[in-house]
Amino acid sequence: MTDSAMDVRDLFVGNGDLQAVRGVSFSIPVGGRMGLVGESGSGKTLTALAMMGLLPVGWSTEGRILHDGVDLSCQSDSQLSRRRGRTISMVFQDPLTALDPVRRVGHQIISLIRRHSDAGKAEATEQAKALFRQMNLPRPAQMLRAYPHQLSGGQRQRIMIAIALACYPQLIIADEPTTALDTTVQKQVLRTLDVAVRERGTALLMITHNLPIIAAICDTVAVMYAGRIVEAGPVAEVFSKPRHPYTMGLLRSQPTMDNIALDGSSRLPSIRGTVPPLQDLAIGCAFQPRCEFATDKCRLETPKVIEGLSCWHPIVLDAEE
Amino acid sequence: MRLNVSLIIGAILTFCAISIAVVSTFWLPYNPNLPNIPNRLLAAGSAEHWLGTDVLGRDIISQLMVGARTSIVVGAGGATISLVLGAIMGLIAAASGKIVDETISRVADIMLSIPGMVTALVLAATLGSGALTTIFALTAFFTPSFTRVARSAALSVLQEDFITAAQLYGRGRMPRVARHVFPNIAGVLIVQFTLYFAAGILTEAGLSYLGVGVTRPGISWGLMLSEAQNQVGVSSPLAMWPGLSIVIVVLGLNLMGDGLRDVLDPKLSKSIL
Amino acid sequence: MTGILELRGVSQAYRLGRRSPFVTASYLQVLSNVDFAVRTGQAVGLVGESGAGKTTMTRILTGLERPQTGQVLFDGKDLWEMNAVERLEFRRNLGVVMQNPRSSLDPRMPVGSSLLEPLRSLGIDCDHVARVNEVIEQVGMASSVLGRYPHEFSGGQLQRIAIARALMTRPIVLIADEPVSALDVSIQAQVLNLLMDLVTDLNLALMLVAHDLSVVAYATSRVSVLAAGEIVETGQPLELFSRPKSKATQDLVAAVLTMEAGLAGRGLD
Repeated sequence: MTDSAMDVRDLFVGNGDLQAVRGVSFSIPVGGRMGLVGESGSGKTLTALAMMGLLPVGWSTEGRILHDGVDLSCQSDSQLSRRRGRTISMVFQDPLTALDPVRRVGHQIISLIRRHSDAGKAEATEQAKALFRQMNLPRPAQMLRAYPHQLSGGQRQRIMIAIALACYPQLIIADEPTTALDTTVQKQVLRTLDVAVRERGTALLMITHNLPIIAAICDTVAVMYAGRIVEAGPVAEVFSKPRHPYTMGLLRSQPTMDNIALDGSSRLPSIRGTVPPLQDLAIGCAFQPRCEFATDKCRLETPKVIEGLSCWHPIVLDAEE
Repeated sequence: MRLNVSLIIGAILTFCAISIAVVSTFWLPYNPNLPNIPNRLLAAGSAEHWLGTDVLGRDIISQLMVGARTSIVVGAGGATISLVLGAIMGLIAAASGKIVDETISRVADIMLSIPGMVTALVLAATLGSGALTTIFALTAFFTPSFTRVARSAALSVLQEDFITAAQLYGRGRMPRVARHVFPNIAGVLIVQFTLYFAAGILTEAGLSYLGVGVTRPGISWGLMLSEAQNQVGVSSPLAMWPGLSIVIVVLGLNLMGDGLRDVLDPKLSKSIL
Repeated sequence: MTGILELRGVSQAYRLGRRSPFVTASYLQVLSNVDFAVRTGQAVGLVGESGAGKTTMTRILTGLERPQTGQVLFDGKDLWEMNAVERLEFRRNLGVVMQNPRSSLDPRMPVGSSLLEPLRSLGIDCDHVARVNEVIEQVGMASSVLGRYPHEFSGGQLQRIAIARALMTRPIVLIADEPVSALDVSIQAQVLNLLMDLVTDLNLALMLVAHDLSVVAYATSRVSVLAAGEIVETGQPLELFSRPKSKATQDLVAAVLTMEAGLAGRGLD
């Protein structure tokens, strides 16, 4: 087990009667990159927050979150906070709310470096400058003196990534890091993240609903639906030969430059119905009400996870579809 | 809807206070202003006067009941007038152009910068003290707060897309405010109302205590406190009864306000997902 | 180049800050000399980065904002020189769908009432109840939802209701500003397909504003690229995106992440 940066076993996250994450297991090897795909309410963000020990008040976890030789789910708040930013760190969707608006960004990153190492102020400043350079931020010395609101969205997100990387964590969790950014900036930020993570051998958990991002940056992928992982495996395999109807639906329904039909009359095959609220999930397979292959078995029994797949009727795609 | 404990407790306390005030209009155990020197300073628990009598032998329960009526009339009166005026001014400020908005906001700022006690003293000196004057004084220093609350709540609603949509299908500015903005800020205003109701009761008690609010033959809890002050060494429960009444009613209203805040906010009643 | 709704030589600038009266005010040019047309039975797209002027252009097209120079023409008539009757006619013929469905419906109104609002406000004389039922069915929902409040629906359902509201007055022009970007991935195709079907079935003129090239390329037959307040390129989407001429279009195209490239290991090249 020592060769994984994060090993989640049978994780449940709930608030009273509400179970948002219902038995999630995955493991990210050291330096590995995993994508976690899901829609709103799938439990992907709560899974990440559970790993960081940052669940909102009222939410509790069950199961094991093994990281750096300890089970994070049993750690105290102070133990977790010593760990956050040092062995595990997170990049949030909105860098403007994640950065402290009344402190210069330099202060925020330098104080983090100094808190987690015995570097002096001058040394920490140099480290911060080096990080900013690595993030392709122009004029690092000046950038350190800027306040968050003086920077563009892309610059802020690069600074968030720099802060996340500052202490050479074993794992970075990125929750929709580029959703709030312009498309032209998105790719540059992803590239920066990709290079930085690769150079340091940091493991990455990329949480997003954007499948091409996963394809571009991750080795493995897990698809979440209604609090469970319905399909997991290497990206190339899952995306080119999806076995779960939900994965296939997602792949086919999202307009991408690859699958656009040429004439205006053809339509993308869409997944019917809507994402179910957690309060009334279907019995059996949670996807069953929206699935075109659903049978009585799906309506009664929750499918077991076999070889990274949780479906009674896996789709078998021909090699050349 | 989830059971809201503070709302229920607050509503019960407030309901009791209002009931007592209503009863006091047609029935009282004794005339609260009639001195009865032989029975002066009776201790609580006597058969005739359950909570005793004051220094002139006047029945405490009767006085408390009339005091409840004064408190509620003055507090509710001040809060209601301020609510109506403040909501109108706030909505106008939020929905109008810069000049009107600035004028209303600055006037509100100036009014808020004048200490409430000074306003009350000036009003008492010019109009004479009494319940009505106290209501005027409360209105003068609650209205600007209501204006501010209504204005900022309305401004955030005006940002919403359904307002733009209404503009697109041809609703004029004031119809938009009436149809879409007001219903969306009503919850905030109701919560604010209960809190200022409570603040009004406290202020009224303070003013009457200082002798610039309600005076005999009117009765107020603040007035009772000030009269009891001379007897502190002799009979301390005299000060305790009106004090306790104020605490209970103010607590009730504040609990109700907190409860309503949770119930009325549609964002809070949804789960965090 | 005539369309049912048109911009001709439209420019817009906002005054920045309030300086002293002795300093000449500085202006931010948001749109410069924009020509744009929406035609009946056709879906046109508008793409561009944030800050390019998409929102301003939409506000001018819908009559929410008056341009400093240039004309907004509806059916050949200048929007800002219309009399009250013509203006009412314009409003009836325009439907708008906004980005965030949660914000575009009044949370204190049952959705049925929200749907009735345009009819009441624009004084349309018809069987209101029948019209509401007809439209809610048109967007693929049951009439049993009409008594419910917005918080009881998912984002995708709310966007359908918002589309229904836009259709209530039988408009001939529909303007959709980022209609799917706030929706769940599995819902986006449903809503896009619905919009496309409406264009065909009702012979609508649709303008689709989006930052996502794939969405525009999928749902429209003509696209304009807006960059720094200017329309830099217009054309048939796939052609435009496969042979971008302007720098702005090239940047937009280069930023697109495709599945194919990602799976081939060059997603970020």
